[in-house]
Amino acid sequence: MDSLIIPGDNFHVEGRENVILGPGAYCDPKSQQFQPVNAGFEVVKESKKNVSVHVEYNSKRYVPAVGDLVVGLITGSYSDSYRVSLESFSTPVTLSYMAFPNASKKNRPTLKVGDLVYARVSKADKELEAEIECVDSTTGKDAGFGLLEGGTVVDVSLAYCRELAFNPDYALLPLLAKTAQFEVAIGINGKIWIKCDDVRHALACKKSIVDCQHYTPSEHKSIITKNFKKLLNSTD
Amino acid sequence: MSRLEIYSPEGLRVDGRRWNELRRLECSINTHANASDGSSYLEQGNNKIITLVNGPQEPKLRSQTNVTKAVLSIAVNITRFSKTERSKSSHRNERRVLEMQTALARTFEKNILLHLYPRTQIDIQIHVLQQDGGLMGSLINGITLALIDAGIAIYDYISGVSIGLYDTTPLLDLNTVEESAMSSVTLGVMGRSEKLSLLLVEDKLPLDTMESVLAIGIAGSHRIRELMDKELRKHGEKRLANISSNQ
Amino acid sequence: MAKDIEISTSESKFLIEALRQGLRPDLRKFEEIRDVGITFGKDYGDVTVTMGKTKVHCRISCSIAQPYEDRPFEGLFYISTETSPMAGAQFENGNNTGEDEVLCSRIIEKAVRRSGALDVEGLCIVAGSKCWAVRADVHFLDCDGGFIDVSCIAVMCGLLHFRKPDVTVSGEQVTIHPVEEREPVPLGVLHIPICVTFSFFNPEDAEENIKGESNNEICLIDATLKEELLRDGTLTVTLNKNREVVQVSKAGGLPMDALTLMDCCHKAFKITEKLTDKITEVLKKDIESRNQHSAMLSSENARVS
Repeated sequence: MDSLIIPGDNFHVEGRENVILGPGAYCDPKSQQFQPVNAGFEVVKESKKNVSVHVEYNSKRYVPAVGDLVVGLITGSYSDSYRVSLESFSTPVTLSYMAFPNASKKNRPTLKVGDLVYARVSKADKELEAEIECVDSTTGKDAGFGLLEGGTVVDVSLAYCRELAFNPDYALLPLLAKTAQFEVAIGINGKIWIKCDDVRHALACKKSIVDCQHYTPSEHKSIITKNFKKLLNSTD
Repeated sequence: MSRLEIYSPEGLRVDGRRWNELRRLECSINTHANASDGSSYLEQGNNKIITLVNGPQEPKLRSQTNVTKAVLSIAVNITRFSKTERSKSSHRNERRVLEMQTALARTFEKNILLHLYPRTQIDIQIHVLQQDGGLMGSLINGITLALIDAGIAIYDYISGVSIGLYDTTPLLDLNTVEESAMSSVTLGVMGRSEKLSLLLVEDKLPLDTMESVLAIGIAGSHRIRELMDKELRKHGEKRLANISSNQ
Repeated sequence: MAKDIEISTSESKFLIEALRQGLRPDLRKFEEIRDVGITFGKDYGDVTVTMGKTKVHCRISCSIAQPYEDRPFEGLFYISTETSPMAGAQFENGNNTGEDEVLCSRIIEKAVRRSGALDVEGLCIVAGSKCWAVRADVHFLDCDGGFIDVSCIAVMCGLLHFRKPDVTVSGEQVTIHPVEEREPVPLGVLHIPICVTFSFFNPEDAEENIKGESNNEICLIDATLKEELLRDGTLTVTLNKNREVVQVSKAGGLPMDALTLMDCCHKAFKITEKLTDKITEVLKKDIESRNQHSAMLSSENARVS
């Protein structure tokens, strides 16, 4: 039951107990009243014990939250950590040298300024600088994190990123995969890293991803074919 | 005021030069050995310019450091007494001067091997004691000489000159009188090549004459390069002679 | 500049590789400019120009002022090009001494004001005591590269579109007729300068560019913001339809062969012709739409010959 909701409205969960609030919902500590604080789609999920509610809203600026998978850019290196930018003009986050697989005092990672990394947000306190890690801290394995070599980056809106990453029914990437081979890493911070062997394919993928943002899934196929046609024809 | 004849029918200019003649160019390097790491004094006609280079040195501000290459900063000080009439304002924050500094910095950023000096700063100070047209070109020449004196790695000379177009005759190396009477082009030429690092055209110029103007400018710049080169070699030989006589 | 937009090495390498294969990120050709859109506001001298995602607004206004003592027969003309964070987070408020800001405002100044695009003598009302002061305020609304080109078009469109109130002088008495009373008069625009900006990229290393014989440098017209951030050199050519070079500015950057630069100038001329035609056409349409009832309201009778 997705419906548009705007700050000032009420959630459609009146009279329910055990309500779990997600992003976009605020609970007044005094009155225990809750209300939406962002404009977007209201998502209510029911289970046996309780009901959870959150607002699916779009924004451009990323605020770190623990567990998010992000694409970051190394902007500086210090004695024991890297400074990583998740978005231009945002507060930088830190990536400790110890947050890599097999890290030790002697075994230092070899990332350079300007490199891209795929990482997970490990700490995001209000008072402190956020931290990210390139290792799955429970297993100590690399878990696909680390340096993203080559390729290029597409900047898109946050909601679109979430859609691409979490919605298994969203058919854009499978559609793209039918026409071209590529490696992809979706950062929830609005950055999608993509790599193809052929520059043409990479460009077409990049443009398709950017273009499809503003169209319904039914139109995606025609956009992709149009972009690929245009690029592959320009060879001649 | 009698009407000045910019270019007489006999082919002479206001100061008696022919169309393709440069002004007197005299230069010397290592003029301020104590004050700076590299210095030059250049007279191009009535332009008199002191250039001081300091660096590669520690950046004054932490925030200005670049971990991959040196930071180049250029400050142009046009003195108040540099023209016939003393100027009422200092020229420090004029847009024209800011533009000059930016243009010079961007010109030399590509010529200096900045990546050899990471985490440092190279400061260039220019003092214009007297100006008489074609200032930008003279500044370029002064900086080139001072950089060589400072021992900073550069790819090649950059030599600068201005050219004007009077009716259809191009005039090389303009002075103030000529500069105010016609449109001018300033070039910064890379070494012996025909590559232009700097190209500024001010005021209108027919598109089809530009090619010939550029050709003459490049030839003039090459001549300036030779003159600077001669002076540098003379200076170098003198130093070499000093070393060998000490032994 | 407050802070720079950060770009990864992968992205810059990718761009160079794409350019080497003759491709631009937005699939344009190297010498293709983005579509220029010109819209006029309700008032005279109010124009918004877009080029791709770049958007610039220009407003022309005028007032009566005293001419400079050394130029009693000339009116005043100012252009203000101030950037604000409105155009993008990389611009700082109230600080216009950044390198790019200074170059941009100087080039516009040279292209429009110093080239005499506006007939300042026509702004004189009473020699030595009264003249029009015309002011062009340029506002950058959105930045995706090509500020110089777009603002030049915006200022010129504004000047061509603007009408100043009519004045009559009898002796020392100067009467300004309000726009409602008497048809305002256009400014005297002597030529239309058009700026075209080229961006240079070096696919080889620096040494090859300076010492090598080959001229492999890549040259783009009308770069987007990302291309602008990664370029090695730039050249802005200002031309008008009379095949006159109004201004050229290549303030350092990648050294380029003189012949390549000449070639750029000739390419720029073609674009200048196209844009000038577009400007005149748009202006004509606007004037027609403003005067669509003029024939009906006219008291003129058909002459009998």
